Amino acid sequence: MSEPASSSRRTLFKRMAIMIGGLAAWRQARPALAQQAVSPEAGPQTVRVMRPYDAETPVREFTSYLTPNHRFFVRSHFGPPAPESIAEDNWRLRVGGLIEHPLELTLKDLKAFEQVTIAAVVQCSGNGRAFHRPKVPGVQWERGAVGNAQWTGVRLRDLLAKAGVRLNGKHVQLQGADRPVVAAVPLFTRSIPLEKAVHPDTILAYEMNGRPLPLLHGAPLRVITPGWMADSCIKWLTDITVRADEAKGYYMQTAYRVPVTAIQPNSGLPGTSMVPVEAMVVKSLIASPAQGDSVGRGPVTVQGVAWSGDVAVSAVEISFDEGQTWEQARLVGEDEPYAWRQWQFVWKPAAAGAVTILCRATDATGQVQPEESPWNPSGFLWNGWDRVAVTVAL
Amino acid sequence: MRMRRLPCIGLVVLGLAGFAAMTAAQEEDLASVSAALAPRAEGLILARCSVCHSPDLIAQQRLPKDRWLATVDKMKHWGAEITDDEAELLVRYLFARYHPSAPDQLPPFDHELRNAEPLTQEPPDTGPLVGLAARGAGIFEHNCQACHGAGATGGVGPKLAKNPILKHDDLFWDTVLHGRGPMPAWGSVLSPQDIADVHAWLQTK
Repeated sequence: MSEPASSSRRTLFKRMAIMIGGLAAWRQARPALAQQAVSPEAGPQTVRVMRPYDAETPVREFTSYLTPNHRFFVRSHFGPPAPESIAEDNWRLRVGGLIEHPLELTLKDLKAFEQVTIAAVVQCSGNGRAFHRPKVPGVQWERGAVGNAQWTGVRLRDLLAKAGVRLNGKHVQLQGADRPVVAAVPLFTRSIPLEKAVHPDTILAYEMNGRPLPLLHGAPLRVITPGWMADSCIKWLTDITVRADEAKGYYMQTAYRVPVTAIQPNSGLPGTSMVPVEAMVVKSLIASPAQGDSVGRGPVTVQGVAWSGDVAVSAVEISFDEGQTWEQARLVGEDEPYAWRQWQFVWKPAAAGAVTILCRATDATGQVQPEESPWNPSGFLWNGWDRVAVTVAL
Repeated sequence: MRMRRLPCIGLVVLGLAGFAAMTAAQEEDLASVSAALAPRAEGLILARCSVCHSPDLIAQQRLPKDRWLATVDKMKHWGAEITDDEAELLVRYLFARYHPSAPDQLPPFDHELRNAEPLTQEPPDTGPLVGLAARGAGIFEHNCQACHGAGATGGVGPKLAKNPILKHDDLFWDTVLHGRGPMPAWGSVLSPQDIADVHAWLQTK
């Protein structure tokens, strides 16, 4: 009995990849893509956790301005809700709490509000967690738990205006239809301050890159808080509750928090003053060449992306000598407030051998991407210099 | 043979790491603790942790003992069906295998180690099994409900209430014992009596 049990377990993950991929992530993609998902490293996504499905985008995809839906990183605590709970006939969006007029909206009702489209980076708070030293617990994201997409939907402020926020309403609690397997696990509930909720660019999105929002990305409706990390971008949204204070519960009061001031590694727990993860920090990535590539005499186009919360990227620099000297890259392509900026650098390798390419970005407020990010107990907000090792063969 | 190879791997890893956060002797101790506890710990992980998340989430962590302790404690509070003794064993195992200086790519378990040890031991040959539906309800809730839904009405896994497989004993037993498609094998987790009880309960749904 133990023989088949063991071999069955070995094939379990492969089968789950096919099943999950086939059912959800790549429903809209070509059938061939689901088969590629068999290998966690070789598919359209790099799988970090099979269930609930967590996967990042291979960084080579970031040579394109918009990240395709089927390659866009996926992260949730409990996986998608049961399909019937979010089917259009059953799904409702409720707005309640400290408001004058409670609302219960169908998707059709929602689409009667003014439609807006915003290009925005969505990034997991733990993107780059694997690079923190000492290591910290959590999904060991490397570089690709981030993406840039066009989000279409309605302004949260328009709904709140219709509902009429009372004077004591200061925070907006967001709850999706996803549920933990075991009832003792707290719900994934978050809240954002009212100022962010009524910001004209905070939207409830039902389309992603011009397509209906895919199941794994929060169908039928998710929150997009441009410039903020994705822990505020609640998927499968069903309940908006205006409150006087921050939402209660583990995922607001304990998780997704960082120390107010820098702390020593492996210290600061508990008792350190912690604040919610909110705005993104300045960051850039090298999309090409890829780690381990062999490059020729050139010229070689080094390219990638850079972004920073709600301010513009002002510069991207490249170093070939471990950060002793830096050269300016050229910012190219689309320039939209919350999206990332593409950049290029034309490189003429001078000598054969191993070279590590580094990049760092600077934003309009003068924030510079650091060599390493401040250590924090949950490994949030990594934005250390990006590095790619290549071999020059002249 | 196996026991001689493990310390060698530890030494090579230390050499590559280039810093002695841990002495070779300590590394060797951890490797043997990990090997000794693996059969039972891996059985627990499959049965108890993977109700909510696949074990790959565990295998990618490299944590000091206090953080493993805090993690296992958190999971127990969140409903992981483990006793205090099992929690203590898991912490010892997880730290021994997934400590901060363990390599990114760990050598796979030797084949024999992959066979998780049964969590429940039944005396052999106790005559024909009679399933107890009342007991089966609880076993289903703790082991099967995560995928097959409350009341066996389906979820990630198929609906089992009124499922034709309930009329085919051999197929039902084979599926539970050895797994099928994405369903893991439960032969190392559920005793024959447990399986008979679940079967009896499912027939009432």
